[in-house]
Amino acid sequence: MTQTDPLDNRIIRFYQVSKHFGDSWALHDLSFDVETNEFLFITGPSGAGKSTLIKLLYMGERMSSGYAIVDGMNLTRMHRRQIPVLRRKIGVIFQDFKLIAHLNVFRNVALVMEAAGFKSRTEIRRRVGDLLELVGLADQAKAYPPTLSGGEKQRAAVARAMVGKPKIILADEPTASLDPDAAERVLRLLCAAHARGATVLITTHDRELISRFDTRVIRLQGGRKVADAAGNAGEVCP
Amino acid sequence: MMDMFRRAAADFVRHRFLHGTCFLTVSLAVFIVSAFGLFLVNAGELMDAWQQGVRITAYLKSDISGQQALALAGELEQKPEVASVSHVSGEEGLLWLKEQIGGQTDLLADLSENPLPDALEIRPNRGLSGADAFDALAKGLAARAEVADVEYGRNWLHRFYGVYNLFRMTAAVMAALVIVAIMFIGANTFRLILYSRQEEIEITRIIGADEAFVKYPLYLESMLLGFCGAVAGLALLYAAFLSVMPQVPPGGLLPVFQVRFLSPGWIFMILMASMFVGWVGCWFTVRRFLRI
Repeated sequence: MTQTDPLDNRIIRFYQVSKHFGDSWALHDLSFDVETNEFLFITGPSGAGKSTLIKLLYMGERMSSGYAIVDGMNLTRMHRRQIPVLRRKIGVIFQDFKLIAHLNVFRNVALVMEAAGFKSRTEIRRRVGDLLELVGLADQAKAYPPTLSGGEKQRAAVARAMVGKPKIILADEPTASLDPDAAERVLRLLCAAHARGATVLITTHDRELISRFDTRVIRLQGGRKVADAAGNAGEVCP
Repeated sequence: MMDMFRRAAADFVRHRFLHGTCFLTVSLAVFIVSAFGLFLVNAGELMDAWQQGVRITAYLKSDISGQQALALAGELEQKPEVASVSHVSGEEGLLWLKEQIGGQTDLLADLSENPLPDALEIRPNRGLSGADAFDALAKGLAARAEVADVEYGRNWLHRFYGVYNLFRMTAAVMAALVIVAIMFIGANTFRLILYSRQEEIEITRIIGADEAFVKYPLYLESMLLGFCGAVAGLALLYAAFLSVMPQVPPGGLLPVFQVRFLSPGWIFMILMASMFVGWVGCWFTVRRFLRI
């Protein structure tokens, strides 16, 4: 299943990928590549197919046609048993956080490591502790999601996405439901993940937000790619 | 494995209201099924006890000597369908008749000689079941040269087995219907629990959990719930049984019959069935969640 070419730096390859739900096309003939440690935005209006694209990347949905490879794993014919292997390479952040309400912040983050098969409680405590420190939630480790603010929940979600040291971080409208300060803090964390070597792909419809970054932007409309603009090769994060 | 138990136990505590509801439903379901089973088992045993009371009397010809009668009794006892044979002489028969009619012995006073022939009273084996089997045994006896007549209440026996078979058939159909209904209710209760946790399961999968990590603790929880619910249901039934039993006089239904609680075999079967229902409900739902 894994096809690694040491000379190929592309961590994501999409070739003529389409996805339809019944008669409605969410994505149509979408082709693009993403290089390792790239930081890019996927933008477009509501219904453009941004969230569908994220779902296809972590195999939340199967594509209807086309060809896609993520870190050497072929999504086109991926067996169900291979999906967890793919998902451990990817950290996903959602607009609605998707934290488990009855687990505290520490347990929400630690669950990723437990699911990946980590047995050492010491290792789990250490790594989760470090991440909570990084996202500024060390004092809230025992707090439950319903008691947190939106910004805190999203930072917990970022910690969860980063704790497995994924090669790719997918963030689906991560700042859409946050105030400007909280959004700024979440973006800084995503930049930190990028600085640590992760490939970061963020969907947003916020043009003002994108304009602050000097990086590649893919624009979708009606499920089709309408623009793919590279940055100016400066510092990605402001 | 220990980790799975730990996670299952933690889930029990976390979702105590849901699990409590499911526990009560399963307990009640097991109580109803077990009460029905208790009735069926005892009714069946009561029928068996009645059946064991059936006797076949073979009246011997008048020229058969006592020794010949005993030899025939010994021969009949070798037959697999016969449990025991006792020889009743004409004199013993007359004495028994006098005892039965009590104060009206004058009726027999004018008899110049004993009209009753020697007879063999045959108790069929427990395995002999059905009016046809009794008919066949009686027919075989009647065909013997030493036997003048055979009496075994043929009409009564046919009516008894008619009722007995109807009871068994009705009981089987009702048991099947009750079990299916209870399985449906039980399995759906487990499904409801899982539906309420659908989002949690989805999140766990998105973060990279494999199927085993998601489903095995859920299977374990469902089976544990099935087991605990069944234990509570059976305990409730036993308490009800103990409170009702003093109202039933000993030997009140039949001298040889005593009402009994479910055997260990039945209890084991109910516990296993309850765990199985829990697992089936969980399996169907989890299978749907794990589809992509």
